[in-house]
Parts: sequence; structure tokens; C-alpha cells
Amino acid sequence: MDAIRTEGLTKKYNLGWRKGRFLALERLNLHVREGEVYGLLGPNGSGKSTTLKCILDLVSPTDGAAWIFDVPSTKVESRLHVGFLPENPYFYKYLTGAETLEFYGQLCGIRGAALKKRIDELIDLVGLTTARDRRLSGYSKGMLQRIGLAQALIHDPQLLMLDEPTAGVDPIGSRDIRDLILRLKKMGKTVLLSSHLLAQVQDVCDRIGVLNLGQLILEGDVNQLISDQRRLSFTLEGLPAVARGQIEDAARAAGATVVNVEHPQTTLETLFLDAVRKDERGAGHHD
Amino acid sequence: MTERVGFSLARVWTIAGNTFTESVRQKVFNILLIFALVIIASASFFAEFSLGEDVAAVASYELKSIKDTCFGALSVIGMLIAIVGTAMLLPNELENRTIYTILSKPVRRFEFLLGKYFGTVLLTFVSVLLMSLMFLAVLAFKEVRLSKSAKAEVTAAGSDTEKQKAQELVVKIHDEAYDPDIVKGILLIFVKLCLLAAITLFVSTFSTSMVFNVAVALLVFFAGHLVGIAKEAWQAHTIVTYLLGVIPDLGMFNVADDIILGNVIPWPHVGKVAAYGVVYLSCVVGAAHLIFASREI
Repeated sequence: MDAIRTEGLTKKYNLGWRKGRFLALERLNLHVREGEVYGLLGPNGSGKSTTLKCILDLVSPTDGAAWIFDVPSTKVESRLHVGFLPENPYFYKYLTGAETLEFYGQLCGIRGAALKKRIDELIDLVGLTTARDRRLSGYSKGMLQRIGLAQALIHDPQLLMLDEPTAGVDPIGSRDIRDLILRLKKMGKTVLLSSHLLAQVQDVCDRIGVLNLGQLILEGDVNQLISDQRRLSFTLEGLPAVARGQIEDAARAAGATVVNVEHPQTTLETLFLDAVRKDERGAGHHD
Repeated sequence: MTERVGFSLARVWTIAGNTFTESVRQKVFNILLIFALVIIASASFFAEFSLGEDVAAVASYELKSIKDTCFGALSVIGMLIAIVGTAMLLPNELENRTIYTILSKPVRRFEFLLGKYFGTVLLTFVSVLLMSLMFLAVLAFKEVRLSKSAKAEVTAAGSDTEKQKAQELVVKIHDEAYDPDIVKGILLIFVKLCLLAAITLFVSTFSTSMVFNVAVALLVFFAGHLVGIAKEAWQAHTIVTYLLGVIPDLGMFNVADDIILGNVIPWPHVGKVAAYGVVYLSCVVGAAHLIFASREI
């Protein structure tokens, strides 16, 4: 059974009187398997958010249909096992972090001691222990994203739909969210995330689909899609300078072409994270 | 994974409670409420400018003046709280995208709409309750002061006739201050405010602008107070009368003037007007649901 299935999903938005209609999504057939992390990629305006909204019945498709765990998305029951984090969420700014989770928990029918326990677990999971009784009006963007993830997880859903989960979040927060997605995957959850930050998607997704102008133009296993089967690279450590020439000669002798020999570079993200983590002053440091 | 999700009053209540908490924590409502309470509290002092010689006339005037000011404050500030409180609900939900997080949970759109509506009704109820308590406290305070003057007249009275007259005045002051019809007037104001909130909610299901919602609701408020007169003027024209019937007759809810004049408002009349209000607002909430159910979010 697919966690999400869409068949011929099409959405046209009315642009107003005599302005015609805008085709946001065209005959999308999407299959997200149970237990996988699926990345929906695409530039701004490619139809990613519209896809998520159609699946959640927030907008009605002009044509086609969607199912969540085989339940038609037009039925309220389809949302029993879904957690959703919208893009740039704000939430109720007059509520505290704990009150926010209490509200969403009650909406999902969780009450009493079970809800209290779940709130404690989630606050801890997303790292908001010190801010749990602070009103959301005083939260930073990264903290709002964390509380957003916690509310999406409040009823322990089987499927998580995350719309641009790392948009506007700093690299550390972004890495935390990535780690959390990987943890959820290990727990057997299915995750559908939309993003245009390709490096992060590459790190966490099993499969990806690329949307452009409302159409799915590419889909497949991430590793298969990005690996270049014609080329091979070695990363060696402690190689004497003389041996380098011998290796290159051996490669040429075997009929291969040496395309590139260089010192591997770390990513800017890794460099940044290492520098911040090595700074031992801690988060509470002030001038 | 084939559980049924039925309509849940618990979810409606959760959303209503959240809406109420949000509203209470926004300073604008507290300021409006404090403003109303100050007006009501000071009604007693405004009334004292009329001090004259005749205790009976002064007492009657002062009590009437307090009732007039307090009913006015209840009606106007209550109207502002009900309309503004409702007008911002859906636009804020859409702007902050909180509506996505709620409707992506197993929550029916009707539950959401009803929860939002009951949240404002609760806010209106608490505001009306606080203003009414202040209103009654001011009347009680005034009654004590006026009765004291009247009782002094009883002691000072020379003849039996004068004494009896002064004693009658004490009873009259008490009856006027503790007129049970005041509660009927407040009840009908509350129903009117709930109706206005329902109309504002209905407008906000197809508009995204808070200013537009408030403007239309205020238009209905003024038209609703004139529709009674218009109906009388156009009696002979059936079609016009039917068309005017679409606009709620808010004039029906204004029994405050009669109460101030000392006219008795019979309970059956109060019941009839309240029932008209409840039926009307139910239809409006139903219509709001029909639009909201298919709204693209």
C-alpha cells in the first residue's frame, strides 16, 4: 500500500474575471511508498505546495484524485495518520510552546496524562525545553519551525508532510531537522518533503520527484539518479608523492582516462558546523 | 486505518477555547472592555450633575440616566467586540497559515467554523457579563445613596402624608434600581451581538480583508436598525417587504428605551425576539458553512 497516491492530479486556479486560469499542476501521478523519505523538488511556483494542499484537501483538484493510505483525501479520515508542517508557519503567537502542543493534541483527541507525557517528549525531541513556557511571539524562526515539527508529530502519525522544512532556518537548525527526519525514517515513518535546497534533499531522501511548471519531469532513486556510472573516484590517505604517478600510469595502461586529481574539499556547511561546535563559549554567552 | 471520524463537540470546544484565549490575550479587547467598564462606572457620576431640590425627580432622572448610559455602552462596545473579534478570525488564520495546521488534522471544516464562532460568542458573553455586573453594581451603589436621601426625608417629614410619600419614594427607588427587566434588555443585547458576530463570520468566509468584513458588518448593523421603519413604510409592496426580510431586524432587540421608561417587557416577547435571533443566526452560520466548505485555502 502506498502512503500517498495521486492519479491525474490537476489543479487550475482562477485568476479572476476574464483573466483565465493558471495551470498549477498537470496530471500528476505520484506514489510515495510506506517507510520512505520522498523529496518533491522544484523551483518556486512549480506546484509543490499545491500538490501538498491537494493531498490534504485544503484545495480541491480540478481533475484527478489523491489517496492517503488508500483513503480518499476528500474524507476527513484520510488525515488521521498525517502530520503537516506548512511553509513558514507562524502559529498562535499568544500561546506558549506547551500550550500550542496541548491545543493540537486535543484536536487529535489526546487528553490528560497521555497528552502531558507526549508534550514533554516532543518538547525534548525538538530541543525547546528552556522555551516551553514562553509565548510564541518571542520565538525565533528556527524555534517556530521546531514547534511546527512538534505539532505535526503530536499524534504520532505514520506520514509526515513537510513543506520547505528548513526555509529560513540557520545551518545548525537545518542540520537538526535533517537528523530528525532520518530518525523518523528509522522509526518507520513515511516522509514527504518539498524543498528547493537540493543538498539537504540529497542527504535525507530515498527517492525524489522533480516538478517544473506543474509537471513531474523526473523521478527516481536519489543514489541512482546522481551517481555517474561511467566514472569512478578514489579517496586515498597517506599516499607518497611518487606513488601518485604510478597509479596514474596504471590507470592509463588499463585504458582509462585520468579526468581529475585533486585534494577533496569539505563542504562549507561542514566547515561552519565544525567551527560553531568547537566554539566552547556555549549558547548563553554574551559580551 | 479505516476508523470513522464523526462530528466532535470536543474539537469544537477546543477551537472555541483557543479562539477565546487568543482574543483575551490581545490587548485591544482588554482595552475596549476596560473603556466600557470605566464608562459604566462613571455613569453614576455623570448622573449627579442633575442634582436639584426635588428628591423624587432627581432619583428618577439619575437612575434613568445610569440605565441609558450603561445600556448604550453595552450595546456599542459589545458591538465593537463582537464584530472586530469575529472579523479578524479567518483573515488571521489564513495569513498566519494556522488554518493549514488545523485542517490537516482530522478536523471537519464545520467544526473549525463553529469553534471559531463559539470562541467569539464566548468572548462576547464574558464581556457582556462583566459590563452587566458593573452596570448592576453602579445601580446598587446609586440606590443606596438615593435611598439614604429619601430616608432622611422620611425622618424629616412633619405630617403623616409627607412621611408616607417619602416612604413610597424609598420603595420606588428600590424598584427602579432593581428592575428585573434590565436582565431582559441585556439578554436581548447579547443575542443581537451573537447575530452580528454570525453575520461578520459569514462575510469573512468569502472575503480575506478584515476591513471589508468590519465595514459590511457595520453596514448590516445600521441597516438592521432602520429596516423596521422601512418595512412599515413599504407595507403595501410585498416583494420589497420580502427583500427587507433578508436584513435582520435589529430594532426588535432594542427594548432598553422601554425599560428606561419603566414599561414592562413581557417574557413571551423576549422569548419571541430571542428565538428570531437564534433562528436567524443559525441560518447565517449554516450559509457560512456552505461557502467555507468549498473554499480554497
